[in-house]
Amino acid sequence: MMTITLTNRDNARYKVMCRRSLLDELLDHGVDLPYGCRYGGCITCAAKLIEGTIDQSAQVALNNRQIDNGYIILCVVGAKTDCSIDIGMESHDLLYRNPFLEPLAPQDLRADVGAPKEA
Amino acid sequence: MECCGPGYASPAEAIKAPREKILYTIAIYTGTGIQQPDYLCTIDSDPDSATYSEVIHRLEMPGIGDELHHMGWNACSSCFDDNSMSRSYLLVPGVRSSNIHIIDTASNPRAPRLHKIIEGVEIKAKTGLSAPHTIHCLRSEIIISMLGDSRGEAPGGYLHLDKEFNILGRWENSMGDIPFGYDFWYQPRHNVMASSEWAAPNTFMPGFDLEEVGHLKYGRRIHLWDFEKRVPKQTFYLGEDGLIPLEVRFHHNPDSTHGFCGAALSANIIHWWKDDSDEWQWEKIIDVDNELHPEWPIPVPGIISVILLSMDDKYLYFCNWLHGDIRQYDISDPHNPKLTGQVWMGGVLNKNPKVNGVQVNGGPQMIQLSLDGKRLYVTTSLFSTWDNQFYPEIRVNGGCMLMVNCDVENGGMQIDPNFIIDFGKEPNGPSRCHETRYPGGDCTSDIWL
Ligand code: FES
Repeated sequence: MMTITLTNRDNARYKVMCRRSLLDELLDHGVDLPYGCRYGGCITCAAKLIEGTIDQSAQVALNNRQIDNGYIILCVVGAKTDCSIDIGMESHDLLYRNPFLEPLAPQDLRADVGAPKEA
Repeated sequence: MECCGPGYASPAEAIKAPREKILYTIAIYTGTGIQQPDYLCTIDSDPDSATYSEVIHRLEMPGIGDELHHMGWNACSSCFDDNSMSRSYLLVPGVRSSNIHIIDTASNPRAPRLHKIIEGVEIKAKTGLSAPHTIHCLRSEIIISMLGDSRGEAPGGYLHLDKEFNILGRWENSMGDIPFGYDFWYQPRHNVMASSEWAAPNTFMPGFDLEEVGHLKYGRRIHLWDFEKRVPKQTFYLGEDGLIPLEVRFHHNPDSTHGFCGAALSANIIHWWKDDSDEWQWEKIIDVDNELHPEWPIPVPGIISVILLSMDDKYLYFCNWLHGDIRQYDISDPHNPKLTGQVWMGGVLNKNPKVNGVQVNGGPQMIQLSLDGKRLYVTTSLFSTWDNQFYPEIRVNGGCMLMVNCDVENGGMQIDPNFIIDFGKEPNGPSRCHETRYPGGDCTSDIWL
């Protein structure tokens, strides 16, 4: 079991199992969260990781810029350590960017078309 | 023709129909941060009514996060000669949830109610499809373009429903080598259907990355189908002239082979037709120039998010969602369109940010025209994640609906000063409005056999 702290919900803490997605776990705990596809493709459930280590290898919604900004896709993310996260639209301040105002560099793109990230 | 099925005997008859007294418009909370269901609004459009230009009823969907988007009728003029059919149900799909809500609008047109839901999970299990978009009825049956497979990958396919809204399976016999789906329209007298290309749901749902266009993750083709055989037959590769081809419309006149499509990112109108030697041809007939924006390093494309033809096929309307203008072209000669009207509202160029006392957040997006061609209803939201990228203020201020008066004799358009619905003032908080339909059919709902 890991402990998830919701930083922007008065630091509410929940115990979660690592095998299930954080979305399923937190919904079971009664946390009100937006979601859509539930397979990591639509970005509706995005949250921001403040601290901790996660596995979200199944997500296809985020580009590398969003990942670098800390975004995680709750419906497919598993916690590998205790984590602190911001949830809901309030955490989406860096999620959406105007693509004409701030173009992406090749390594910022989504994994299927992006250049490999520099180590 | 003496008959009593739904719709009208011909486009000319449709033009003579009574004025629309109410409108159905969807409004969404998906992507706004407000955890409430999306809903179907009934709007009073009768100028003699005390509640003119107000939302008079709201039907909430049972779930949260559907992202209601486009909708369609169970029946249209394609079953005009079938008196067992009637236009009684509005199909309202959620692009994100893939749930298709069947709404009974006949029992009480002002207060529609939920009749049935086809669950997204059932559609995925039976057909392997997701992300419903365009709905057309075909006599007593219904075809829906589905933009993805059950994992949100392209090309998806077409969902086929019977008149009781049971899933018959996939409509198409083959997708051929079509990479993406989006909108479609058919012209049965020529045994042809045209379809366009957006992108895979996994690509467009999270938002728009311009660079992905260059990586071929967005469409640039129009496909013509053998409608009876249900297989794609010919592809127009539009290249740079046709980046992200969205809405497709054939002439309403069922004998015509002329069709049109708006390429959103290229901001071009593409026209196709069958020539004298029975070959399909295409050409670019309108090219909207990109505009400079003081703060943007890249010139701003118009983003033609919608096109529409008047019922008499005389006028083509389209919106430049980013620039903020709606244009009217006389297409009496479809090869040589003439700009006859233009109005501005919202948009990133700031040409007309405030209309009828309301700050317009977003730009002109979905439009619906009255059957007589005189009133064009406009809403401002495109798609929740794309709204959030281009018009972040819409999250707090919501969308709005305006009406534009159109001169059908001489051409010309004017924003009506007395019609405005501010979705920023909705009871559950600011929502965003999208597609509009009328109970009696409208300029994008009906097809004649
Ligand atoms: S619900 Fe769609 S990405 Fe998580």
